[in-house]
Amino acid sequence: MTYNRLESFSIVLLVPKWIHRVQSKKQESTFYVTPDHPYEILLFFRCHINTRFDVSIDICGVNCPSQEQRLRVLYQLPTTQYNSCIRIKIGVNEITIVSSVISISPSAGRWEREVWDTSGVHFSNYLGLCRILTDYGFEGHPLRKDFPLSGYVEVRYNDLEKCVVYELIEMAQEFCYFDLASPWQA
Amino acid sequence: MGPHHPSMHGVLRLVVVPQGENVIDCKPILGYLHRGMEKIAENRTIVQYLPYVTRWDYLATMFTEAVTVNAPEKLANIQIPERASYIRIIMLELSRVASHLLWLGPFLADIGAQTPFFYIFREREMIYDLFEAATGMRMMHNYFRIGGVAADLPYGWVDKCLDFCQYCLPKIYEYERLITRNPIFLKRVKGVGFISRQEAINWGLSGPCLRASGVQWDLRKIDHYECYDKIDWQIKWQTEGDSLARYLVRIDEMKESINIIQQALKLLPGGPYENLEGRRIAQEKGRMNWNSFNYQFVGKKSSPTIKLPRQEHYVRVEAPKGELGVFLIGDDSVFPWRFKIRPPGFANLQILPQLLKGMKLADIMTILGSIDIIMGEVDR
Repeated sequence: MTYNRLESFSIVLLVPKWIHRVQSKKQESTFYVTPDHPYEILLFFRCHINTRFDVSIDICGVNCPSQEQRLRVLYQLPTTQYNSCIRIKIGVNEITIVSSVISISPSAGRWEREVWDTSGVHFSNYLGLCRILTDYGFEGHPLRKDFPLSGYVEVRYNDLEKCVVYELIEMAQEFCYFDLASPWQA
Repeated sequence: MGPHHPSMHGVLRLVVVPQGENVIDCKPILGYLHRGMEKIAENRTIVQYLPYVTRWDYLATMFTEAVTVNAPEKLANIQIPERASYIRIIMLELSRVASHLLWLGPFLADIGAQTPFFYIFREREMIYDLFEAATGMRMMHNYFRIGGVAADLPYGWVDKCLDFCQYCLPKIYEYERLITRNPIFLKRVKGVGFISRQEAINWGLSGPCLRASGVQWDLRKIDHYECYDKIDWQIKWQTEGDSLARYLVRIDEMKESINIIQQALKLLPGGPYENLEGRRIAQEKGRMNWNSFNYQFVGKKSSPTIKLPRQEHYVRVEAPKGELGVFLIGDDSVFPWRFKIRPPGFANLQILPQLLKGMKLADIMTILGSIDIIMGEVDR
């Protein structure tokens, strides 16, 4: 645990230009990074002897519409040598293009496609950045907060045309929102 | 190779470019089972969401529940009683045995051996019976809660579970005798789908795929979660990195899981099975006096709507397929702000196109089976 804290602050001294701030909580450090340099900083973290964060375990896209940088991309990097884990956060908006890290760690490929599909963050230098989880020809990015839970389009089989058709959604029941205030809560 | 498969892989579409009998290239297309689990999670409290999580990996259901419940526990710093921890370990290891058994059946059915597919259901039905006695459901148990488990083990369950372990261990040896030295099996599986150690780390593999390539990486030893440190067990690993090594790692893991279950059953302490204080302390700020009006609710099971604090946390669990992780960003409300699921199958499937280049068409199913993918968690 102490190793984690020392290392995180000394790393900041090495690359002060790229890191906004560091947050260290419960044995996990989070680095807030400028959005132009994810490739460089991941390469640095991978190769530097003190911080061999060589795997890209997870890349996550978060949508925070109330903040100026509406979308955030989080890279989760553990290290197989030193048993610690850091998180790198980049704040972008909908039109910023982030450079892809697929040439550093090939495991990032699918995660970046998923972030593009669900949150709409575009990655450069990536051949074949296309939708992975949603339907063929789906429009919109589902995990943004303005996309409704039920979506816009529903799919059904039309017996007259003998094929699957897309129609606008028709809700037979109104959306159930559970009121969670209970008299038994003190 | 279209989305529907005769074996239990799930809906995975593989666009394969063959040349004669050799495979030039392969492109997996996912998304046929995408149900929007992450978006649904943003609109449900954790207890409301628990029935959904067993549908990610529907063969090893306890792990999905464990990681979903560990995330708020770490965020809100809720301790669980020791009995609950041991019950969780027993359930998790039973789930691991069940998952590996149901991997073994379809893997061999793909290779051509039909009979193990029926044999594995014998043990799996017994595990289902144990789960049904403890949780009420055979497969999609809604058993784990924030702060422990939902209900205690029924009377006599411990003896039944010990009987099961004594029955199951010779059966696993029987599978080994039937399969491991079978020359047809070895010809199909040995040397097929080799992953080197550095490649396995680069591609972000985890679980048996990583351990079969020589990396001794097991999250149960590394993260020291639950009570695994109090039980004497070893990490099972191999060095070859081909499909045979992955098969051997999983068989050894099954034996080790039975060992863990037997030890945990003997070490099972008494005590509460759920931390009811966790719900109250998370809601109520400060301690309350014994003669205040609200103290009458302390022993009462209050409704489990826990407010998630404004923090983020990544918790992970050693699922039978690999590292199952949940990245939870709380927002001071009962609904999470972002619930990212890191499925092991999603990452493990990435290596498939590279492994298939230059292989024969018949090796596709061997390699796909040995990576052990469940599309429910890959697509969510």
